[in-house]
Amino acid sequence: MKKLGPYLILLLLLAACFSLATILQPRASGWSKRAQSDNVLKILFGDGRRLFANHFFVQADVSFHSGYYPSIFDQARAPKDTRHLTAKEGEPAAEEHERQMNFLGPPRDWIERFGRHFIITDHTHLAGNNEREILPWLKLSAELDPQKIETYTVAAYWLRDLGKVKEAEAFLREGLLNNPDSPEILFELGRLYYENYHDPARARNVWDLGLRRWSEQEAAGKNPDLFPLEQIAVNLSRLEEQEGNFARAIQLLEIAKRASPNPEALQKQIDELKQKLDTRALPASPGSR
Amino acid sequence: MNTVLALTGVVIKEMYRRKDFYVLFVLTAVITLLMGSVSFFHDTRIVRYVKEIALLLIWVSALVIAVGTTARQIPAERENRTIFPLLAKPVTRAQVILGKFAGCWLACGLALIVFYLFFGVVSGSREHSWPLLNYFQAFWLQWVMLGIVVAFVLLGSVFFSAPSSNATISFVVVLGILLLGRYLNQVALQQPEPLRSIVYGLYFLIPHLEWYDVRDLIVYDQGLVGWLDCGLATLYAAVYAALLLFGAWLVFRRKALNL
Amino acid sequence: MEPIVETKNLRVEFRAQNSGQARKVAVKDLNLSIRAGEVFGFLGPNGAGKTTTMNVLLGFVNATSGAAFLFGVDVREPIARQRIGYLPELTYYYKFLTAEELLRFYARIFGIPRAEADRRIEQLLKLVELDSARKRPIKTYSKGMQQRVGLAQALINNPDLLILDEPTSGLDPLGRMKVREIIQRLKNEGKTVFFSSHELGEVETVCDRVAIINQGELKVEGRVADLVEKHQANLEKIFLNIIGYQPQLSS
Repeated sequence: MKKLGPYLILLLLLAACFSLATILQPRASGWSKRAQSDNVLKILFGDGRRLFANHFFVQADVSFHSGYYPSIFDQARAPKDTRHLTAKEGEPAAEEHERQMNFLGPPRDWIERFGRHFIITDHTHLAGNNEREILPWLKLSAELDPQKIETYTVAAYWLRDLGKVKEAEAFLREGLLNNPDSPEILFELGRLYYENYHDPARARNVWDLGLRRWSEQEAAGKNPDLFPLEQIAVNLSRLEEQEGNFARAIQLLEIAKRASPNPEALQKQIDELKQKLDTRALPASPGSR
Repeated sequence: MNTVLALTGVVIKEMYRRKDFYVLFVLTAVITLLMGSVSFFHDTRIVRYVKEIALLLIWVSALVIAVGTTARQIPAERENRTIFPLLAKPVTRAQVILGKFAGCWLACGLALIVFYLFFGVVSGSREHSWPLLNYFQAFWLQWVMLGIVVAFVLLGSVFFSAPSSNATISFVVVLGILLLGRYLNQVALQQPEPLRSIVYGLYFLIPHLEWYDVRDLIVYDQGLVGWLDCGLATLYAAVYAALLLFGAWLVFRRKALNL
Repeated sequence: MEPIVETKNLRVEFRAQNSGQARKVAVKDLNLSIRAGEVFGFLGPNGAGKTTTMNVLLGFVNATSGAAFLFGVDVREPIARQRIGYLPELTYYYKFLTAEELLRFYARIFGIPRAEADRRIEQLLKLVELDSARKRPIKTYSKGMQQRVGLAQALINNPDLLILDEPTSGLDPLGRMKVREIIQRLKNEGKTVFFSSHELGEVETVCDRVAIINQGELKVEGRVADLVEKHQANLEKIFLNIIGYQPQLSS
């Protein structure tokens, strides 16, 4: 009996563990989302992964600037955004970006002066298909924080620019899977269908969906960003204008006006469309038969 | 000189007979090759992220080797009592300090050569170009910087008998300088007096290790650092290392070593 | 003739562990003189100051006052150690080196040319019977083998003075015999041996002269034979008398 004692105790402990596991298992599912995840990175990092995701997104920006980037101290003095990543030359975002990137200034002492021989001091952007170099960082950022929408939109923009349309679509669809209500991603997807696939019907469907999602978010009191509303409305109105649906185009521009920082320009376009609408509505003159 | 060289040889033998270097190299190689094998959006021409990751791992590994190897030199000699038969020979304490420094620094250099060769192979296989002078500059500056680190850790090792304490403090200081050294003057200007003067004084006092970190120049295919600037940086490192070693000798020569 | 080892009013004081106590005097005004060709035994109970004296002679510790000389050179000069060999009590050497590498390392420190170093290493490894294990790292050696490596490194420079700290400690009877043989051989070659030991029987057999130190002070010094005759007792009884040991009477 003495010899069996330790084994009996072991058996008893095993039985107790098994019983505990069966009792606790239904309750455990409600404890933490992390435990449910099938993503290794989510399990490893927990919510800290968002920090890493943000770091990798910034790394993409650093890569875009070939290493010339303000430090956290420079950014504390003059915060920087990332809109330039998808902005074209001449746009306000691009001009604001030029100003923000002028952070170095004259060196304060000989140490700083000498140190500048070992760092990159020229503000450049990747060009000539070298923009591909930012893609790994964006992909990593998306892996770590699938809810960071900007990652998908920026990556899709550059993938399209590099001629990788299928990859851009796949990535945007992945983003949509993780963020089904995102007007930003829907806008980019629509742009892809319109500009790359030349499929206005699909583009319209997606942009309409984007508008509906935005309105739903507004109705739910979530205060969504106005910028995607303007983007979708303006692009959809252009599409409608090209299709000859002037009334719908005007309707959309009215929506865009609400979100636009430059409503006068949109009003001008509305007036032009109204003129076109009026011209079409006029009956044909007798001499024209 | 013979004595210093003999001590140098022993340190190098120790390094390649311990597992540290091989573990770090294998880790670096595996992570780099793993990251390099991942296809991002079916584009095989993406190369900078591999270079960035590889160089980061090389820097981390080199620092671990430098600090780890150096931190245990003198404490281990004392703890293992190997210092007694050594100092019972016609060896001065200055020679011990110099020999340990030279051994650790050369060991770091050998490790760096292996790492950079690997880096050259990996980046060359993707980029199909070998900017050898750039790689040499990056290697040289990093190696010279490690001279300052080794001297600093050696100074710490004559104060701290536990290698772990010395290693921890050294890592904190070195990483602090690498990450923040460049910006201390900005931080100083934002402070009220007398903190401003203290921080600015610290800014001038610390060895500016961040100068030697030219990874960005390699990753982003920038040009060479001027050779004169390279030479001045080397001189700066030599002076700093000499100062730290002198400090180490001043402390070590007074230390009683009891059997 | 100039003594090989000489101390003049050697005094070594240490800071006390407890702040309330005065400084601890480990060696008090020690005057020693060891001539060439002697085998000199340095005896004393634990804490008597033997190790501290050796530390001073070897340059590990600085004297508080007084002086110590090896071959007429102040012990603080590294050159004083050019002609000595030292075997510590606890033999620890670089574990990652082989016996051959260790001896080569020390030979290089002494500035012994390569060919001569090779010849000596060959000779010494045979002498200490480590020829078969010469390529193995020291970490794989037994205690006895490490002790023998220690002896080999102490002899690598063909020293004129050998300083041995408890040379037979931890050795089996065969090992002890070999050490005694080596000491005898060195004496026959005219070398000087200075060693500390607790093995009084061994000291009585091997040594020409002994010094007994207790609580940092030199209590007695002289030829073994003379001391035995004077005190009419063996060395062990003389030692116990000097340190003030009173045997317990059985009831």
